[in-house]
Parts: sequence; C-alpha cells; structure tokens
Amino acid sequence: MSGMPVEAKLSHTAAMILQAIHAGHIYGFSVMAMTGLPSGTVYPAMRRLERDGLILSKWEQQSIADAEQRPPRKYYRVTRNGKSTLEAVYKRYPLLEKMIPSPEMEQA
Amino acid sequence: MTRDWLSPLPLLIVRLASAMVPRRQRRDWFAEWSAELWQVCAEQKPAALAFSTGALQDGFWLGWNAMRNHGSRVLSPGSALRCELLLAATAMIGFLACGFVPGARNTMSPLPYSKAADLVLISSNGDPGTQSPSTRLADYREWTTNTGALYSQIAFYEPATGHVHLKHHRTADLALAVASENLLEMLQMRDGAGHGRVAAESSLPRLFLSRSAWARWYRSDPGVFGLKVQVRGQTAVVAGVIPDNDWRLPVHADAWLLEDAHHLDQLPPTLKGFVVARIRDSAFPPPRAGWRSMVETRNGVFSRYDCISLDSKVVEPILLFCCCMLLAALALPAVTALSLGDYPLSREPLRRRLTLRRWLFLGTKFVLVLAIVYFWSTALAFAWGARDLSSAGGMQALLSFVPLLFGYRWILQDQRRRCPVCLRLLSNPARVGQPSCNFLGWCGTELICASGHGLLHIPEMPTSWFGTQRWLGLDPSWLCLFGEVPAGSPELV
Repeated sequence: MSGMPVEAKLSHTAAMILQAIHAGHIYGFSVMAMTGLPSGTVYPAMRRLERDGLILSKWEQQSIADAEQRPPRKYYRVTRNGKSTLEAVYKRYPLLEKMIPSPEMEQA
Repeated sequence: MTRDWLSPLPLLIVRLASAMVPRRQRRDWFAEWSAELWQVCAEQKPAALAFSTGALQDGFWLGWNAMRNHGSRVLSPGSALRCELLLAATAMIGFLACGFVPGARNTMSPLPYSKAADLVLISSNGDPGTQSPSTRLADYREWTTNTGALYSQIAFYEPATGHVHLKHHRTADLALAVASENLLEMLQMRDGAGHGRVAAESSLPRLFLSRSAWARWYRSDPGVFGLKVQVRGQTAVVAGVIPDNDWRLPVHADAWLLEDAHHLDQLPPTLKGFVVARIRDSAFPPPRAGWRSMVETRNGVFSRYDCISLDSKVVEPILLFCCCMLLAALALPAVTALSLGDYPLSREPLRRRLTLRRWLFLGTKFVLVLAIVYFWSTALAFAWGARDLSSAGGMQALLSFVPLLFGYRWILQDQRRRCPVCLRLLSNPARVGQPSCNFLGWCGTELICASGHGLLHIPEMPTSWFGTQRWLGLDPSWLCLFGEVPAGSPELV
C-alpha cells in the first residue's frame, strides 16, 4: 500500500461495498442485492479491495455446496486492516453505518 | 446440478468475458462468476442477462490492468523493447524525412521510365553519374546511323542556361536541356499537366517545363500550352510539363528544349553533351546492371565509352553505403573492444532461448542503426544541396561513416551493459578494490541487474586472470531482495 492511508482513497461506493461485506453480505450477488449496485461495479471493486488487503476471499467447501445442490461460492470477509479502514471511513461517511448496519450495531 | 439452471446467453457472455482475464486468474474468475450467475438465475432469472454484462466490465478491467502493469515493466527505462522502439522510431522519422526531400525520395523509388533496365547513359570519362557532359555531338551523329544493331533508340541532350522570354515582357534564366526531339519519347515520360502531349506537327522546337518552373513562372496556368516563347534567340512552343521527380538523368533542368535533327545539325560537332540510348535485347543479353563496353566511333575507330544501365545507378548509393559499413566495421577495433564479455560464473547455464534472444536483440540493433544512418544521411545529403546521385553519394559517404562507426561502438557498449537474462540495462555501478592493490585481486566497477539476475564485474585494468568483464549470475533465492515496484496504485472505485 506504499504506506499511504487507504481510507483517504476509498470512494463512497467502495466504502458501501466494504460495509456490506462487514455487515455479513459475504458473496458478490448478496452485496449487489444489499447495495443496489450493478455487477459491473461490485465485482471489480471487490477485486480492488482484496488487492489492497481490506478483504479476503475464500472458496466454500465443495461438500457444503453439494449438500445445497449448487456450485460453491466465493466468500469474502473484512480483514483487520479493513476494519480499521472502516472505522476511519465512518467519520467521512457518517450515514454509512446506518444505511448498512453491521451486526455489532444491530445488537446494540 | 449447476449448469442446467443457467441460461445459455448469459453464460456465453461470461465465457467470452473470461477470455479477457489473465490466464492464471481465468479459471478462478470463471468459477466465481458462474456460481454467482447460478444464484441470480435461481432468484431473479430475468436479471441474469444484465448481471452477466457486468462480467464483461470486470474481465476487461482485469485484463487491462494486467496488460498495463506488464507494459509498464516491459517499457520501463533501460528495457530492451524501449531501446528497440526508440531506434525504430528514429529510423521511421528518417524514412519520412527522405520522403520530404525530393532528391532523397527519388533514391528510394524505382526509375519512372518504362523498361529502365534497357536504358543506358553513354559517357567517355567512365563516370555515368558525372555532371559534366563528355560525349561529342559528332559522335552522337555517327551513332544514330551506325549503331542500329546495338541501340533501338538514341538521344542527345546538352545542358545550357537559357534566356527565355516569357509572356508579358518577362524574361527568366532557366536551366535548360537542349535535346534531340526523341529524348522524352524514349524515356516515355508522362506529361505532368495531365492533358496529353502537344502534337508534334509544329515545326517549331518544343519546350517542356518542369512542374516547379511551370508553377513559378506561369503560376500553373494551363493556358500556357501552345504559347510561343523566345528561347536562346529562337522561337519555341510550350508543349507540356514534366513532373520534377521524373527527371533522373545527370544535370538539373528547369526546361527541356526539344530540337529536330535540322536544328541539331546547326550546332558545332565538338559540342559536348549526354547520350542516352535504349539497347536492343538481342545485342546485350541480361543481366545488364553495371554493363560497360567499347563503342565504335568514326571510321571504325574504337573509342572507350562506358555504357551504364540507368538501373544500376539506382543501387549505387546502397553500394556506397555498404562500403561505408565495411570501412566503419574495419575501423571499429580502434574505438572500442569487440568482446561482448564472458559469462562463465553463471551458476545456471543460460538457456539457449535466452542466448538466442540476446543475439537477436544485438542483430535488431544493428539493423535499426544501419537504417537510421542510411535514411538520415540520404536525407541530409540531398537537403544540403546535392542535386543528383553522384554528388549525393559522396556527401552521403561523408555523413554516414562517422555515425556508423560510433553507432557500432554504441551497439557493442550497450550490449555489454545489459543483463543477459532480461536484457535490461544494468544499474547501480559500484567501484570495487583499489588500483594499488591489484595483485591477486581486482579493481573495477560492479553493476547489478535491478531484477536480481546477477552482477557484472568490469575490470579497470585488464590482467591475465581478469581480462574482460564477467557476469555473475545470482541464484533465484536472491530474487526476494529485488522485488518489483508495483506499477499501479489503488484506483478510486
């Protein structure tokens, strides 16, 4: 990341996607459904977030997918770096957390 | 279980989009998109087509970023491709410069005359490209009657400066070629005005103007044809225009005054000019390039006349340039060492493909440097006043020898300073050792490949055990110290 703060470069769209993943929408189509963004925006943005180390992807186990009779999905989760970035992003976009509430906020 | 749910068109779009994705990511990428597409089809099937178009966008950006990163690495300063592109661009600009300089453009294009290989220029001084006329008019007269078996057509012209009275009491001094009336017909030159030749029924001498003279003195007025003008004290009729680039014979001419035999007979027999002839196929079987012969003159006496094919004149600059190439190659050891260095310390022997690439790069540089010097020396020779091949040839030789010599020197020096693996220029020179401690040691310069392929040791003082530069290949385990700087930075979404 060349030592540059990532949060300064996150656009509102990228912040929404990051927040959606943080809120538990952990695969592409569910992020699309949550944010209302088209697929051509969501997937490239997720690749950039993963490249920047804010999210991590992991393939679902084949046995689970087989049990549900569907192809295995690629799941995403927010990294520690991503969480600290989100904290900074909330200051820049205060409504983000209310738009897409995270599990911690819902419990509170 | 999976694909049965998918509509064929969205899946086809995703498949097409996967072609844009870099190969190492493609399988994973397609698996993710097809799994997501399955989900879309299961939940909102009508949205599947719109969803799949996003794959095109995703695939395009992945491919684009990969290509950009690769391109920026390949075209980074010091890379082999960048070097070759710069050389090729310089050669291309030189080629275009030749196109803009009229004389240089002529040397690049074939002769505009029909059956040019059959045309010969006859001169007595052995130099077909000379600008001074050498053939006597009396000899030409002899040949018109005696050499029918050798030449199907023969023409004469004499360079002169003509005082031409133009219309409206204007006069101009034009560079004239006073010629026999069959000269232009023999060369089969086109009328540049595009309206056909003026009929030859007039008994008056015909005056053909060069296109530039027509534009300069008559402002390209088509009404000038058929006009009677005074040329060197005689009346002539303006008959047509000759394109500037079509006249490739010795001596520059602004106009051609075609005289009939009666007018030519009035000229003194000792007058010297140029003789052009079209040889008969039966008399001189091909190939005829550079063909020379003795020609019979008056009363059966043989005089030495050189008959040079006009076609062979076209390759003269190239031959002269080849001589310069050879001379520069012979002089090269005086300005640099010829050795490209040793590579004995490489732990892994360089693979044949890499070695071939190195030699290919060296060969490409040679070809491009030769092209650069040839095009630029030709363009500059003609731009600096050479009006014909012979004068341009000498100037081109002068202009090309030194650049060729130092071009060769640069090629070898550049090759020696490149990594044999990635062909990038080596960097970070460091001085090693001391000249005063040269016994059983070495002093010199050490250069390093920024990609971590190895080190180059260049001795400052060649010794019996370290006479030339040596390459020390590094083990791949060193590569972790030479991480590539990421080419792209995070973009805004």
